[in-house]
Amino acid sequence: MALKKLDVRGTKCPIPIVRAKKEIDAMTPGDELEVTATDAGSVPDFQGWVKTAKHAILKSQRTEKDDTGRELYIHLLERK
Amino acid sequence: MAEASEPAGPSPVPTVEVGDLLPRLDRGDPLLLLDVRNRDEYESWKLEARRPVETVHVPYFDFIEDAEGALAQVPHDRELVVLCAKGGSSEMVVELLGEAGRSARNVSGGMIAYGVYLEPVKLPLAAPEAARYELWQVNRRGKACLSYVIVSGGEAVVVDPSRHASWYEGFAAERGTRIVRVLDTHVHADHVSGGPELARKLGVPYFVCAGAGFELRHAVTPLADGQQVRLGGEQGVSIEVRVISTPGHTPGSTSFLVDGRYLLTGDTLFVAAVGRPDLGGHVVEWGRDLFFSLRDRLSDLPPATRVLPAHYGGLSEISGEGVVWGLLGELRATVPELQIATPEEFISAVRGAVKDPPAAYAEIIKVNLGGPASEEQICEWELGKNQCAASTRRAAGA
Repeated sequence: MALKKLDVRGTKCPIPIVRAKKEIDAMTPGDELEVTATDAGSVPDFQGWVKTAKHAILKSQRTEKDDTGRELYIHLLERK
Repeated sequence: MAEASEPAGPSPVPTVEVGDLLPRLDRGDPLLLLDVRNRDEYESWKLEARRPVETVHVPYFDFIEDAEGALAQVPHDRELVVLCAKGGSSEMVVELLGEAGRSARNVSGGMIAYGVYLEPVKLPLAAPEAARYELWQVNRRGKACLSYVIVSGGEAVVVDPSRHASWYEGFAAERGTRIVRVLDTHVHADHVSGGPELARKLGVPYFVCAGAGFELRHAVTPLADGQQVRLGGEQGVSIEVRVISTPGHTPGSTSFLVDGRYLLTGDTLFVAAVGRPDLGGHVVEWGRDLFFSLRDRLSDLPPATRVLPAHYGGLSEISGEGVVWGLLGELRATVPELQIATPEEFISAVRGAVKDPPAAYAEIIKVNLGGPASEEQICEWELGKNQCAASTRRAAGA
């Protein structure tokens, strides 16, 4: 099982989900994708997307702060 | 079938500005609004016009996941405008629609732009007053916030300005008038005031009364209860604005009586409800203050006094002239909270009536007291309509 990381810091919707879908579709079932975003809107949007997503499961979401104190929204997805 | 891709460079998609879209929706033009935000955002805050807005809701990520299925949910029979939170996702959807041979326009700036859009409405004053001054109600429609510009004899006073101070400068310049004073009725909890910035930029006096227990860091020119300020003096016209202390919604809440006729009540009294006294954790004390402010402080004003509040609760409160106002005499008879006889019953009624507090009210109060915040944070905090009323009557159309 592989873990891939995707950095979408500084982008706003729809970019985080457009890029996450592209990555997830190319992965093998069971692999994980960790998406790091700075857009707070990505939190409800990932929750909404996985309800109908063919290949993505949302395993967890968490927040962290980077060195400059900026809020990071980290979404862990699994390829299904 | 088209596949969602990242917008490349400057957008070629057709757009519509909020200021052009709203008048068309108000007129009832047959437009279909496609809202592509996620469900929670859509449910909690919708774009509204003076007539019902026909809307289809399909989240943008449905277009990313299954463009064909999502496109099939969008009716073909009307001119289409697409809306999201900030304008980026709706732009992508407009592109997808275009690739599928469907024409549509993107609402520039999305709900953020809707939330800051200001519409000035000139109050239809009676002839004797209209010759001496103009009163403008500036409707921030996305938040149902109202600010005011009083214009007389080449001078203007701005009351409760929204945070885009430059808009008021431009408005005054267009009307050939000079802003001489900026007033806030209170330290707002639902939106960031443009008052301090506007006054600082223009070098004119700014007033707000924060009240006991609040450390206000803005420079303020204090005004006492009962004090009058004048405008228009330079050209021989003189309009009086009387300061009336009406604590309760906040401990420093102030109403302003213009020319003895127009009462700018802030969040003390709305046209269908009263302000909420629970946003400081002192609902009993503030609720008691509000009860006595409403009962005693405004009691000597004639029934023909026009009440001009800082918010409205729903489209039903906008009159045929497009103005939110009410006659004090009528409000005394119709606002349920004004029928209550004792402070205890009043406190208990408004306590039971208030909705959840505005999401970021504590942060917004801090900024309005002079604390720092980034533009991005303020945008996030200001999302959604105001929740400033304590209405025991469920407002129709709210």
